[in-house]
Amino acid sequence: MKHLPHTLILLPLLFGAGCGDSDTASGAWVWNLPDTVPPPRVPEDNPMSEAKVELGRFLFYDTKLSANQTQSCGSCHRQELAFTDGLAQAEGSTGEIHPRSSMSVANSGYAASLTWANPAVVRLEEQALVPMFGEDPVELGMANMEDELLRRIREDERYPDMFAEAFPKEADPISLDSITKSIASFQRALTSFNSKHDRGSSALTLSEQRGKALFFGGTNEAGVPDALECFHCHGGFLLSQAVDHDGSEFNQQTFINNGLYKLDSDGSYPDGNQGLFDITNDPADKGKFKPPSLRNIAVTAPYMHDGSIATLEEVVDHYARGGREIESGPNAGDGFDNPNKSSFLNGFEITEQEKQDLIAFLRTLTDEDLLTNPALSDPFAQ
Amino acid sequence: MKRLGALMALCAVGLGCGDDSNSSSTRQQVEISYAAVVGDQPFVCGNRYDNLGANDTSLVLSDFRFYVQNVDMKNAAGAWIPVELDENEFQTTGVALLDFEDCASMGNEDLNGLVTGSLPAGEYDGLRFTMGVPFEMNHVNHSTAPSPLNLTSLFWNWQGGYKFLRIDSGQFSETDWRMHLGSTGCVGDAMAGGVTECANGNRVTVEFASFDPSVNTVVADYEALVEGAALDQNEAADAGCMAKPADTDCGPLFANLGLPFGGTPAGTQQFFSAE
Ligand code: HEC
Ligand code: HEC
Repeated sequence: MKHLPHTLILLPLLFGAGCGDSDTASGAWVWNLPDTVPPPRVPEDNPMSEAKVELGRFLFYDTKLSANQTQSCGSCHRQELAFTDGLAQAEGSTGEIHPRSSMSVANSGYAASLTWANPAVVRLEEQALVPMFGEDPVELGMANMEDELLRRIREDERYPDMFAEAFPKEADPISLDSITKSIASFQRALTSFNSKHDRGSSALTLSEQRGKALFFGGTNEAGVPDALECFHCHGGFLLSQAVDHDGSEFNQQTFINNGLYKLDSDGSYPDGNQGLFDITNDPADKGKFKPPSLRNIAVTAPYMHDGSIATLEEVVDHYARGGREIESGPNAGDGFDNPNKSSFLNGFEITEQEKQDLIAFLRTLTDEDLLTNPALSDPFAQ
Repeated sequence: MKRLGALMALCAVGLGCGDDSNSSSTRQQVEISYAAVVGDQPFVCGNRYDNLGANDTSLVLSDFRFYVQNVDMKNAAGAWIPVELDENEFQTTGVALLDFEDCASMGNEDLNGLVTGSLPAGEYDGLRFTMGVPFEMNHVNHSTAPSPLNLTSLFWNWQGGYKFLRIDSGQFSETDWRMHLGSTGCVGDAMAGGVTECANGNRVTVEFASFDPSVNTVVADYEALVEGAALDQNEAADAGCMAKPADTDCGPLFANLGLPFGGTPAGTQQFFSAE
């Protein structure tokens, strides 16, 4: 299983036939990707189809997926904000504040691991169960309401036909499994590679080109080659090193401490939000999070796992200093000295012009299509 | 569908399959009773219990469920023989859910205090079992799992598994004291498509050298579970013990379950006893 050549997974897709046991895809799926970008990994038991992606879109935006019917996935993952919510920390359907910031689900089909710092969650189908049924924190709040969920979906007159079309081989196509498979397929279809940056350097202004050079290892005005080092963690087609795709042969999960906090000599981050450490309990993992893709970064503020940096200007200041100093309060401490901080992050000199150039480049990563494409929009709006 | 899947899995592990399994003349049925108590009182969903833990805390308990697997009985020759569990809504593929709650917002009215199955005809005088779900069943697609592995309130999706034990107090407020136990420290791999290993399995092995199912009962005691735990406090971010390795509130509970925690090595479990 582990080293299944990717062609085995790809071939059936090319011929438009499902290879899983559960369904034959209706409406052959075509990836609309630039030559430079491989298709995402598609699990054998959940081949893509137009019908499934469309069903997944409805479910993604349907408030029937929350206990009190106030929230959908789309409440925290809004299209116009590149599928984020603009909040520092997400707010669940019962008002509970999530310790973390909502992530963009654009290109989530390419994640080597899902969410900010969890090496266990690698399948979108499984990840969807966390916001639906998680109790700590409550997001959609559906734990223990699986029967009610299926009842609501069955009673909605638009769904039975959509499920039958998306899962033609299933005798009883409305199930928790087909719900998570459809939502996962919709998210795999949320590919976003149509930004100004994707049209090549010639499409960029001089300022944007200078910013791009700095980002990808160029020498800064102070004469230091690769002064900024951004691309080491935010490189490749995804602009994240923690990438997976249908041809990946290695596990590229990555978790890094970028110096946001230092509460004590162990390098602690605030309790309950210590990143990889919360999984492994290894003090060396305190403050380690996934370096997220920087695609659409200009529209996904505020930044970092807890939304604690408001603007891109402040993000650049953070990296230029090589870590954040918090002078007082419960989180006081200098992230620059965090013992777990990556050795790439030692700070750098940056002129005002260079800063503007770098931010101008980061703004070229916005894919307007993603933000406005009606095929990805909320079908229940208006 | 459900039965077929389970049967196939049984065949795969070499337990009875197809026609062979109804050679009932050579097998006998066994019923193992479980009970949930809080000290000397029976557990009743929604009741208040006093003098719990290190600081004599009172708690209203509203959930009490756990999974068991690897149920074996000791024969006259001293060998451990697997009990082949029946298939029903509380048991699938060798895993059983013991369910003592009927009042929780996170539960249902159905109760179950029995593990039923069969073994080769003979005399048996000992019992052992493991609390938890085996790794191979813990980390597969929960959305297609048969009952009792399809209860979303026992999903433990942040680790891709199940809650092996769930005992709640409170209605989801700051003062709740909940105990949720499952495997932790799990890592996965996109190529494998799921969890590949967990640093802390957190499965509790229980053995009674002497156990006669016709007279004895396996008793799970909340008072023994929380002995030494400060239930009026929450040191770590979570309400109670969510089994996270950094959740220091878990220390005493893990000790009482005989599980290692942090630097503390595994000890002897005292949550379960035979009566
Ligand atoms: C209450 C707001 C909220 C709701 C509702 C919500 N999410 Fe999220 N989402 C988040 C937060 C916060 C994170 C980061 C979680 C973490 O790191 O622990 C996240 C992360 C994700 C990720 C990981 C992205 C990546 O690149 O790693 C995916 C995928 C995702 N959500 C999908 C969904 C789906 C599907 C639904 C509906 C079933 C949903 N979300 C509902 C807030 C929400
Ligand atoms: C050593 C690896 C590393 C390097 C080098 C690095 N980053 Fe990051 N970056 C991360 C990690 C890890 C995070 C998430 C940290 C967190 O939330 O705790 C992050 C987060 C970000 C975010 C916020 C993303 C979001 O969705 O909230 C931005 C913006 C960003 N980095 C930009 C940059 C820029 C610009 C550079 C170069 C100046 C850079 N990074 C260099 C690892 C790195």
